[in-house]
Amino acid sequence: MPNVVRAAAVSLSGIRKNFGPLEVLHGVSLTAHEGDVVSILGSSGSGKSTLLRCVNMLEVPNSGNVSIMGEEISLDQRPGRAPRPADPKQVNKLRERAAMVFQSFNLWSHLTILQNVMEAPLHVQGRHRNECRAEAEALLERVGIAAKRNSYPSELSGGQQQRAAIARALAMRPDVLLFDEPTSALDPELVGEVLKVIRDLAAEGRTMLIVTHEMAFARDVSTRTVFLHQGLITEEGPTSEMFANPRSDRFRQFLRRDGASSH
Amino acid sequence: MDYFQLMGFSADGWGHDMLRATGMTVAVAFIGFAVGLIFGCLGAAASFSNAHALRLAAAAYTTALRGIPDLLVIYLFYFGSSSVISGIAALFGSQGFVGAPAFLTGALAIGVVSGANQTQVLRGAVLALNKGEVEAGRAYGMGPLLLFRRIILPQAARYALPGVGNVWQLVMKESALISVIGLVELMRQAQVGAGSTRQPFSFYLTAAGLYLLITFASGQAFRLAEARTMRGLRRGI
Ligand SMILES: Nc1ncnc2c1ncn2[C@@H]1O[C@H](COP(=O)(O)OP(=O)(O)O)[C@@H](O)[C@H]1O
Repeated sequence: MPNVVRAAAVSLSGIRKNFGPLEVLHGVSLTAHEGDVVSILGSSGSGKSTLLRCVNMLEVPNSGNVSIMGEEISLDQRPGRAPRPADPKQVNKLRERAAMVFQSFNLWSHLTILQNVMEAPLHVQGRHRNECRAEAEALLERVGIAAKRNSYPSELSGGQQQRAAIARALAMRPDVLLFDEPTSALDPELVGEVLKVIRDLAAEGRTMLIVTHEMAFARDVSTRTVFLHQGLITEEGPTSEMFANPRSDRFRQFLRRDGASSH
Repeated sequence: MDYFQLMGFSADGWGHDMLRATGMTVAVAFIGFAVGLIFGCLGAAASFSNAHALRLAAAAYTTALRGIPDLLVIYLFYFGSSSVISGIAALFGSQGFVGAPAFLTGALAIGVVSGANQTQVLRGAVLALNKGEVEAGRAYGMGPLLLFRRIILPQAARYALPGVGNVWQLVMKESALISVIGLVELMRQAQVGAGSTRQPFSFYLTAAGLYLLITFASGQAFRLAEARTMRGLRRGI
């Protein structure tokens, strides 16, 4: 691989996050460069989702900062009150650049699949309806559910809904995709079809952060891996090295325990 | 005179009066309903507010109006505003009781009463919203207004509509209470006709038929609206 300097797509530094008196992230720093596919691993409750949700400010860190595509999000983190973005408009702009795919899909149930995919480009980004429709149809084609475009989310299987949700994310033309346990709510036989779509996106060089329990998938697809334990990064590095040669006991244990279930 | 002459549209028939009164019932109920919807929105918004005082006010509003008979609320509004108006009139040299406009005070009283019910209905609808879908709206860059218009309103509408329809039916029936302050709506008109022709049963039966007609027609309208907002919802939920 040629040794080009790639720009940081997402950069988190010194992230701390409290829920009431409970601190669940104790100062986490993480950089994803353009083209990186970063798996965020860790046992449940270690803070993976919270960390991912700090990227698009669904959770606002109590301290530390977040940059997306080189732009730092300005935060109001004065002590003694709930942290919040200093400029909600800036956050909404940056959310267009970092699209999230949720564990429970969260498609808008009152809109058809096509309308779901067109919604943000049309109403948030203010693009032309015809352009949005053409692009949405192409994306649905691509994730293999073009035939369902006039159905409502409740009429689709979980796997189809998640693929629609991925199309919805892509329709914003984001720079970064954030996946929050994208297959955890799926029946086992539907996991494969969703992983295949994500795999294809990785192959085309998309920048992605993926919180997942699918170890085999993480190992295959991600360029870098971050292992979170009790709100701190215990180990991180290139995926192949980390899986071949885990340095920390924690990660080794985690791999061993998980090995049985995912191979 | 047989029934059809009595309710007919000839010079000595009561048809015109009954129809006009029906129009008045629909008008006062509609205005009362609209006022109630506004109070309901304010009440529901207050009940979700971060400010303790607002939440308390919303709770006090719904509790108080559930505990006071509606007829009493109408009297309070009528005699309350009448005494204010009489007081003002006295400043200009008038003496004695000046009645408040019955239509306005009646519609307002019904609005305040039904607003308490609407508060509960709208609160329930907001609580029924899928948090994840609202969060997806935020995650996709929607500001508060866009989020409300594109996601929250259409979703809350489908949970609220059945309840809102019930409140409308209630308001229709309660509008009959406004007859006590002299507004000539359907109930009052039926009383007048019954008294002056000594054929009370004909008048009350006709009034009952007209009330049923209004509730049937509006029921159909609500059903259509519900069918529209329920699209995309799994059947049986
Ligand atoms: N909104 C919240 N309010 C309170 N506690 C929360 C909230 N979200 C997460 N937590 C807590 O934070 C910790 C980390 O959660 P999470 O980030 O979901 O972990 P993971 O994704 O690794 O399973 C857990 O103990 C969880 O209970």
